[in-house]
This record gives sequence, structure tokens and C-alpha cells, in this order.
Amino acid sequence: MSDATTIPALRCTACGTLDPGPREICAACLSSGLEPVHVEGEGSLVAWTMIRRAPKNFRDEAPYAVCVVELDTAGLRVTGRLLDPAKDLPIGIRVHAIERRNGYSIFEGKSA
Amino acid sequence: MRQVSILGIGSTAFGRHAGTSIETLAVQAAAQALADADVARDEIGALYLGNFISGPLNGQEVLAGMVADRLGLPNIPCTKVEGACASGGIAFRHAVLAIASGQCDAALVVGAETMTHASGAEVTAALNCAMDNRSDGVSGLTFPGLFGMAWRIHAARYGTTRRQVSAVIRKNKSNGLRNPLAQMGAELTDDVIEQSPMICDPLQLYDCCPVSDGAAALVLVARDRARRSGRLPVDVLASVQTRGASRIAGHADLCSFDATVSAASRAYEMAGIRPQDVNLVELHDCFSIAEIVDSEDLGLIPRGQGAAWAAEGRTSVSGDIPINPSGGLLAKGHPVGATGVAQIHEAVLQLRGMHTNQVKNAEIAMTHNLGGTGIACTVNILRRGNA
Repeated sequence: MSDATTIPALRCTACGTLDPGPREICAACLSSGLEPVHVEGEGSLVAWTMIRRAPKNFRDEAPYAVCVVELDTAGLRVTGRLLDPAKDLPIGIRVHAIERRNGYSIFEGKSA
Repeated sequence: MRQVSILGIGSTAFGRHAGTSIETLAVQAAAQALADADVARDEIGALYLGNFISGPLNGQEVLAGMVADRLGLPNIPCTKVEGACASGGIAFRHAVLAIASGQCDAALVVGAETMTHASGAEVTAALNCAMDNRSDGVSGLTFPGLFGMAWRIHAARYGTTRRQVSAVIRKNKSNGLRNPLAQMGAELTDDVIEQSPMICDPLQLYDCCPVSDGAAALVLVARDRARRSGRLPVDVLASVQTRGASRIAGHADLCSFDATVSAASRAYEMAGIRPQDVNLVELHDCFSIAEIVDSEDLGLIPRGQGAAWAAEGRTSVSGDIPINPSGGLLAKGHPVGATGVAQIHEAVLQLRGMHTNQVKNAEIAMTHNLGGTGIACTVNILRRGNA
């Protein structure tokens, strides 16, 4: 799997629980054995919005669309960006990661 | 555990207090509350102060001890608490616990914040301290963004419309017009709201609470002390604090806050009342859509009907469940650390029968204060006591 289209996550080596992180110990079993893994960047769009007033470190990027995606893998939910959403892009549609940037993924909607 | 009552209240107006320091506002509100309670300073056994971002915006911390010093209070424990927008509510609950547990017989609660001197980008960045910044923050998400997403889900799930959400704004702004402490009361039309700039689709300018300065304070005492005062006390039937998911993506449903749902259900149980017994609520309408989500989470309105109730006028001062007769955060303003304390100040005025937007025969009031991305919540249930 390429890094651009996958999502970094943490897997507990003791109980197998997956978590998007960051996390110090496994919240399910308290093991400190968390190994970095990559999961498929495929999932469904939980919600999105277009940020037009950005905090100062993101000012140059505004407007930009942020989203929450529920990944197919273990139902993990992550916050990311959405590529050029149409004004009426419905929530619930299929999305996939196309690029990895400073700590977040950019997702693109798939037409139905 | 001992029963606790509110005996004194104080508040500055909310709005712009250019050139007045945060500790000065806090002292003004606290001095009013002490005078209102007619409690001597040497009776106060603890001070809890709610504040969120005085560090980044004012370069000033240790506010709790500073305020006690300026008030000439005795050598008592003074504690500043932080829980983002729920800082004030958390301060209140800790004072309730200090009295209930017998640690002291009287306590002072203060909430304070100054924000208007900072630029919009500085305020947005400071408010973003209330996010998990290594998880949610990296994508450039903001608090309006979170509620923009909540609105989108509410609309998709329940058919909520722009006009219905605007009814919340029109009600709160109109209530604010008759509240002398409110920052931004107004009579607004749907057109004005719909033509205001887009902030985070579908949230527009009037959907967002203003940036504010202000402080509020309360004097709490053990209930037997309140009964001896000869004044009309307000009894604390329940004061609950809960924790929700620390990450936006960690919420099972972005259109409901677990921390609110659990706090409300525990508060009803603790107070021994049902949602229909509540005569009015001051809830955390940091955004218009938040009032709708909160009112459903608190069990005051059936799930999915919050927007319709607002549009039908059922949440007005004379409606089935009056919501934010003060004008709420949308109109009264939101000096973050002061808000949870100010909501209780408003509720006490209602229960004393002295509010400018008085709810008829108000006997039981609820307050709801939500912090961060739903990570912290306090819910209080208050009842008019007997003199």
C-alpha cells in the first residue's frame, strides 16, 4: 500500500485494537505495545464543511474543506481534508484518500 | 453531603471593555455578588475561578489568587479551573462540592474572560487550544467547522432548514435586546441573516456568538446558612460534570454530544425531577445549531424536532420550554470562562422573579455549559428556595 492513499494508525500488539492515534497506551488493554500500521484510505463521508475563516497558521490556505471520514477498516474515524467538494456533496458518499500532508489525509469523493 | 444554595450574584455587562483588565472585571462581579449575598468576607472559605485563555490572550495567569487578594479575602484556597468553554460551570461545581463536603460553609465562584482586544486570528488560534491539536487540529478544523458539520448531519437526517435555524437566532437576539447585560441584542430578519457572510458552510456570521469581555460571580453557602440569612436563596438540586470524546472524530455521532446526554440524565436523577418539570434553560448556544442539538441532548425536546420547535415559537420566553431568555451566548455574548457562571446568574434572576425577560412562575431552571469539542460538560438544576 502506498503512503499517499493509506492512513497511518496504531495497532496494539497485545489485543489487536486499532486506533487512529496519537495515543500512548492501548485504551482497550493498557498495553504500551502500539505498532504503527497503515490502513486502507477507503471509507464513507461522515460530514464536511468549508472553512472560510481559518486560524492564523492556516490563513493562507483558506477556504478549504475539512471532513470526518469513517474508514472501512475497523470503522476508524479520522479528521481530514476534502478535495474540491461540490456545494451539495451529500454526506454518506464513498471517499478515498489521495494524498498525505502534514499529519492529515486529503480525501476525494467518488461519484455514485 | 450537605445541601447548597446560591445567595448572591454579580455580573459585569458582556461586550467590549476596552482598557479594563480581566482581574478588574472579575473583582467588579465578585464584589457585587458579596454585597448581594450580604456574606462577610471572612466567611468565604474557598474561591474557584473559571477562565480559559487568559494565558495566551493576556499573558496573565494565577487569576484566582489575584482576585482574592484584590477583594481582601482571607488566606483561603483559591483555584483557577480550566475546561475550555465549560470552565465557569466546572468552577461552580467545585464550589458546590467544597460546601457539600463540609470543607467550608461559603464559597465564591468567579468566571472571567477578555477577548475583544485580540485580533480575530489570535482569538481563533487561542480557542483552538480547546481541541486535540495533534489529532483534529492538524487538518485546520475550527469550532465553527465542527458545528457546520453538525448542522449538515442534522439537515440530512431531520430535514432541518436555514429558516428554522434562523428562528433560534431571531429569538435569542430579540431576548438579548431586553437584557441590559447583553452584548448584541437585535431584531433581525431572515433576509439579514441569510445575506450575512458564510463562515463554515452552512454556518453564516449570525449563526456564531460574538467575541466578548465579561465576568460573573456567585456566592454559595450551605443551605442552613442560607435559611438564616432572611434572603431568598436558590437551591442547587443537582450539579453534574461529565467528560466526552477528546477528538472530533472520536464522537460516535457528530450531531449529539455524549457529555451533555449523560450529564442531563444524571442531573435529572440527582434532582429527582423530569425534563418536563424544567421551567427554563440557559444552554450553550455557541452557534445557532448548537442550541438545537443541546435542547435535544438535554431531553427537553424530542430528537430531531429542535429546529421545528424553535420555528414554531415553542422555545420563546412564553413558550413550552423557554430556551435562553437571557439571549444566550448568541446575543448576550461569550466571554468564555465567564459563560457557565453567567448562565447561573441569569437562572437565579429568573427564580427570584426579577428578570427583564421573566418566565412566568419560574420555579426550576437548568443550565448547560459545554466545553471544547464536547470533552467537558456541566449541567445544573436549580430551584427557587424559601426565605
